Amino acid sequence: MNSETILDEVQKLLTPEQVNTDREDLYDASADRYKKYAKARGVLDVPMPLAIVYPNSTDEVSRLLQFCNENRINVIPRAGKTATEGGLENWKEQTLVIDALNLNKIIKLDTYNMQATVQAGVALQDLEDELRKEGFTTGHSPQSKPVAKLGGLVATRSIGQLSTLYGGIEDMVVGLECVFPDGHISRIKNVSRRSGGPDIRHIAIGNEGTLCYITEVTVKCFKFYPENNRFFGYLVKDVESGIKVLREVMANGFRPSVARTYSEEDAAQHFYHFHKNKCVLLFMAEGPEGIVDATCRGIEAAAEKFKDGILEQVDSKYIEDWFNNLNWSQQDIDDEYEGMKEHDSHAGFTTEISADWETIPKIYNSVIRRIRDEYPRAHELTMLGGHSSHSYINGTNMYFVYNYDIHCAPEDEMRVYHHPLQKLIVEETLKFGGSMCHHHGIGKFRSEWTKDEHGSAYYMLAKLKEAFDPNGIMNFGTIFPQEEGRKYLS
Amino acid sequence: MNIICVVKIVPDVDSFAYDYENNTLIRENIRMILNPDDACALACALKVKAGRPDCSIEVVTMGPKAVKPHMEDLLRLDADRGTIISDPAYRGSDTYVTSRILARYLSTRQFDVLLTGSHALDGDTSHVPAQLGEELDLEQMSGITAVDFERFDSRRAVFEVEYESSVVTWEMALPAILSLDRESGYTLPYVKYEDFQRDVSGKLTIIGNPELGFEPGEVGSDGSLTEVVRTYTQRFETRERRIVRNDDAGIEDVFNFLLEKGFL
Ligand SMILES: Cc1cc2nc3c(=O)[nH]c(=O)nc-3n(C[C@H](O)[C@H](O)[C@H](O)COP(=O)(O)OP(=O)(O)OC[C@H]3O[C@@H](n4cnc5c(N)ncnc54)[C@H](O)[C@@H]3O)c2cc1C
Repeated sequence: MNSETILDEVQKLLTPEQVNTDREDLYDASADRYKKYAKARGVLDVPMPLAIVYPNSTDEVSRLLQFCNENRINVIPRAGKTATEGGLENWKEQTLVIDALNLNKIIKLDTYNMQATVQAGVALQDLEDELRKEGFTTGHSPQSKPVAKLGGLVATRSIGQLSTLYGGIEDMVVGLECVFPDGHISRIKNVSRRSGGPDIRHIAIGNEGTLCYITEVTVKCFKFYPENNRFFGYLVKDVESGIKVLREVMANGFRPSVARTYSEEDAAQHFYHFHKNKCVLLFMAEGPEGIVDATCRGIEAAAEKFKDGILEQVDSKYIEDWFNNLNWSQQDIDDEYEGMKEHDSHAGFTTEISADWETIPKIYNSVIRRIRDEYPRAHELTMLGGHSSHSYINGTNMYFVYNYDIHCAPEDEMRVYHHPLQKLIVEETLKFGGSMCHHHGIGKFRSEWTKDEHGSAYYMLAKLKEAFDPNGIMNFGTIFPQEEGRKYLS
Repeated sequence: MNIICVVKIVPDVDSFAYDYENNTLIRENIRMILNPDDACALACALKVKAGRPDCSIEVVTMGPKAVKPHMEDLLRLDADRGTIISDPAYRGSDTYVTSRILARYLSTRQFDVLLTGSHALDGDTSHVPAQLGEELDLEQMSGITAVDFERFDSRRAVFEVEYESSVVTWEMALPAILSLDRESGYTLPYVKYEDFQRDVSGKLTIIGNPELGFEPGEVGSDGSLTEVVRTYTQRFETRERRIVRNDDAGIEDVFNFLLEKGFL
């Protein structure tokens, strides 16, 4: 089917107002924040989608997917547009972006049963604001909270900054509704728990738009006790010393909502008013008073036990200030975009990995050493460091953070800088047995390592793709490696 | 036409970390960059060269051998030859000795014009270009903000210098030394992706005192006429920190603060 006919047919399936073919919008829809700099400079090397479509209902999503499936048209599901790993990048000549803009209803706030049901296009901030009015919270607080939407947050297996207490999105999703390429609508019911075979929620959670389109989700909600929040900050000797304290707190069974260790370089970016060029360790305890008190005692006991690694305690007011100014708004994202148009620089890149307690410091040290020794443009790095920001009983994550002066053409930036750096991080992580993708998803630019990430279990992932998307119309190139897409890889 | 660019790789002042306990700058892990004025000089040379197959550019720098990756990148642009003058004996040389060392090397080279920057981010004495003029018996002009590329050949150059209240167009006979100012806005082109890994070692020469033959007492701090008596880092006071909200009272506060400090 040629492109013109596709557009005609889609307009008949929906209404013309629901089909956007504005050139600027299509250019914007060609890539996400992975190629943010090339995008801002107007030099993207990927095809533009044919249209962005805005279904008004699950039925419309179903009809659209069925149409695309029958005509082999690539589909990119889209929500808040904050994807960082190429999940929204287009690698096909015939693509429709299905945007959840009009699926924007908060369906039910059920605070007795402690759950809330929303459509996929509801911004997390909007849900959070509604819950707060009633004294509740989603407990989900990614830095992109003001912009990201529930469909995207579930599709990427996102995680919030309070995860150490509330968990990742996978711990919050109760049930959901999703649509498969053949048009089938599945509703996974909302129950507190069940043992009804494998947990099929996980087919949708984290699918990054490669298996199904998520139209509705029900998430847990929690009582909100902001008045009990307590903060702790310390300057520590090195990353390893900070991680030891994090481990102690977690292993002893405490669940602070925030538990982080920053390298010197990363601390200098965030805590300019107190970092003193040292690593920073910080905690936030929240919840009912008694739990907060116990958590605080747990934190203090851990800090005391490892006091040799602690240089000094920081005024908790600083940590509270920092916490209150963490999130990125749409304005911040737009400001960075405008800045990139004029300057050979941006706000930097990140690669987030995870591993057990023992392995994380090894990966961290090894990555930093390899970048310094092997990366040919190491002399242009203006920043290289990282932080651990999500801890579990058995391990933690490491968020590598780096920035550089850009001395190449905008279209080459990824292959000269970010991608080789990410490659070193991924290689070291996989070598040590960690995971290369703690919370941003695989997207398109880590798909070359999906098989290494999953090893023999990749079989299960590949079977899901074969079963649910046999024609391969869902988000071509994302998660599942594609030879044809290699030309867009670095 | 032969152009020689004399450049310096300098510490990036923005990358300095501050030791709050001892109130000093931490000089380890400092990032090095091509001095911004010198980048304009090379960018200008590349513009002159564009479309003139007879034109060649040599980039000359004096400094530690660690500047090699920076020089290699300049050679991956369209510079034809690079020379690093590096010798442990030259460490501690003042601007006078540095100029003599550079001049001794430059006097062995054929060139029509020397392009340099006007100021350096680190020392900022602006001595070297003028002293090179003295040593090499050449005219020198600083603060160049624009070059007339139509009227730039091996005999003469026409360019503009911005003064406080006027812009003067000069015509100067070559050979001479022209020192560019960053206000010129000449920017270096990007290195092409295919060239990032290009081996340019054949174009880069490292020379030292065996080639230039100074006596030990003539160079380094011994040979220097000037001496740094004391360097100290500016002490930064801890300022009072006030957090205001994004509301009318906060806006009023910021407004009054700016007014009080004379910004409004
Ligand atoms: C400033 C900033 C801060 C960030 N901080 C965090 C953080 O703290 N924690 C974190 O986890 N992530 C973070 N991210 C990454 C990003 O916000 C998350 O991945 C988020 O979950 C994406 O949601 P979105 O609504 O923007 O989705 P989009 O960017 O629109 O899409 C993301 C992916 O999900 C797919 N998708 C979107 N909607 C659907 C749907 N309805 N059905 C099926 N698939 C769909 C897309 O195809 C794409 O692959 C950050 C990003 C930015 C820019």
